[in-house]
Amino acid sequence: MSAMRVVANLELCQGHARCAQICPELFTTDVEQGKVVLRQAQIPADLEEQARLAVANCPEGALRLARSGSGS
Amino acid sequence: MSTSQLTPVPPHVPPHLVLDFDFFAVPPGLRDPFDKWQALVDTGAPPIFWSPRNGGHWTFLGYDAIREAYRNHESFSNRHQSIPKTEGWPVLQPNGVDPPEHSKFRNLLTPLFTPAAIASLQGEIRRRTRVLLDTFVAEGHCDFVAQFSGKLPTGLFIHLMGMDEGRLGEFIALADFFMRVEDPAAKAQNAREIYGLLDEFFRAKTAHLGDDIASLLIRTRDTPGSGVSHEEVINCAFLLFVAGLDTVTSTMTCIWRYLATTTDARRQIAGCLSQPNELNRAIEELIRFYAVSSIYRRVTRDMTFKGVTLKEDEMVVLPDNLANRDPAVFDRPREIDLGRKLNPHLTFGLGVHRCIGSHLAKLEISTALQEWLPRIPDFRLVEREPLKIFAGPVMGFRSLPLAWEV
Repeated sequence: MSAMRVVANLELCQGHARCAQICPELFTTDVEQGKVVLRQAQIPADLEEQARLAVANCPEGALRLARSGSGS
Repeated sequence: MSTSQLTPVPPHVPPHLVLDFDFFAVPPGLRDPFDKWQALVDTGAPPIFWSPRNGGHWTFLGYDAIREAYRNHESFSNRHQSIPKTEGWPVLQPNGVDPPEHSKFRNLLTPLFTPAAIASLQGEIRRRTRVLLDTFVAEGHCDFVAQFSGKLPTGLFIHLMGMDEGRLGEFIALADFFMRVEDPAAKAQNAREIYGLLDEFFRAKTAHLGDDIASLLIRTRDTPGSGVSHEEVINCAFLLFVAGLDTVTSTMTCIWRYLATTTDARRQIAGCLSQPNELNRAIEELIRFYAVSSIYRRVTRDMTFKGVTLKEDEMVVLPDNLANRDPAVFDRPREIDLGRKLNPHLTFGLGVHRCIGSHLAKLEISTALQEWLPRIPDFRLVEREPLKIFAGPVMGFRSLPLAWEV
């Protein structure tokens, strides 16, 4: 496991699904509103780069990375 | 083409923010509709400027300002936004209203346009794409707009609405007129014709409900307490008809023009048609670069925005293409890099009014590429005379003559 996890803000998410396209291993979208669903919050080490790209490509700024174990 | 009048500049707009820019005009000699916007940046236009043309309106040029306007629907409303300001245009549901009213239709439609829901349309899109290709592949040439990109979105609208396939020709004719007409009176008449057809369709459809969008709208309308009227249903259907029409047509046309003139890109995309990651990345880049829409918003209150005084009821234009080519956000923004990794483009807008059809649009483009390139791997632009360009809320080419060896 990497030391990072993903935090999603569902208020900001509008269902662009760029994250699910870039890193389907970590992100998918719900059936009803098409918003982001985290398959797992913890990022496996081998997916860290993809996770960073998914976060950086969200045009709404709805995703961010946080240190594992930190509350923020 | 436009020769709109100059309107007096309001007293709160300082002279250094005024620029004589006609949103609808196609400057003589323009070869690429995006050059008109790039020229604004290159000639040092203020990042937020006022144009006295078309009734007078603001234009935001940078990624940050455009992004903020998209995300702040309380200050930049979608209600009664048009340039020039027009009275009596129907309120389109849900795009023409803001929350909370917006949620009524948006929540109804959203489940039908999620990635999962749209993925189920893949077969239908593929079938329609093949039908269109079959009509001209053996000819060795086509007009891409008239024979392909202008037809695919309308066919999908017919399918999504559960309309009789026999009505396709009728709707293609209406869509074609809608996309070509420039005279406001003729445009309004065309809109009335589309409304009339939709009204008649929805009245007849009520007796033959299925699992399409029209049936969902009708069932909702007829549910006691839904608060959804027949007129709102028609407005919503009208919006679905026009919103996915010239936008998808124009975007595809820009992409195919690029491919017709760029052998490397054709090869590169042909080589990744069955690799979703690479193909998606390439498509995101193409729609970043060819963002054909410029969106209107209406200022809801007097305010200072990035140092500029805006007044209630003033109109704003948000050119997606310039947000997407902003060097502050994108590395080498004026180049197409099919492998671009950092690409948070604003082609589908942002916030509550984010284009509901984005996943459908992308699936139309990817499917069209998957069907076209194996059958017509090499094709060229036949430019006997400069391509006719149009400008405004959607920009693009009126036609795109292509040819290939058979």
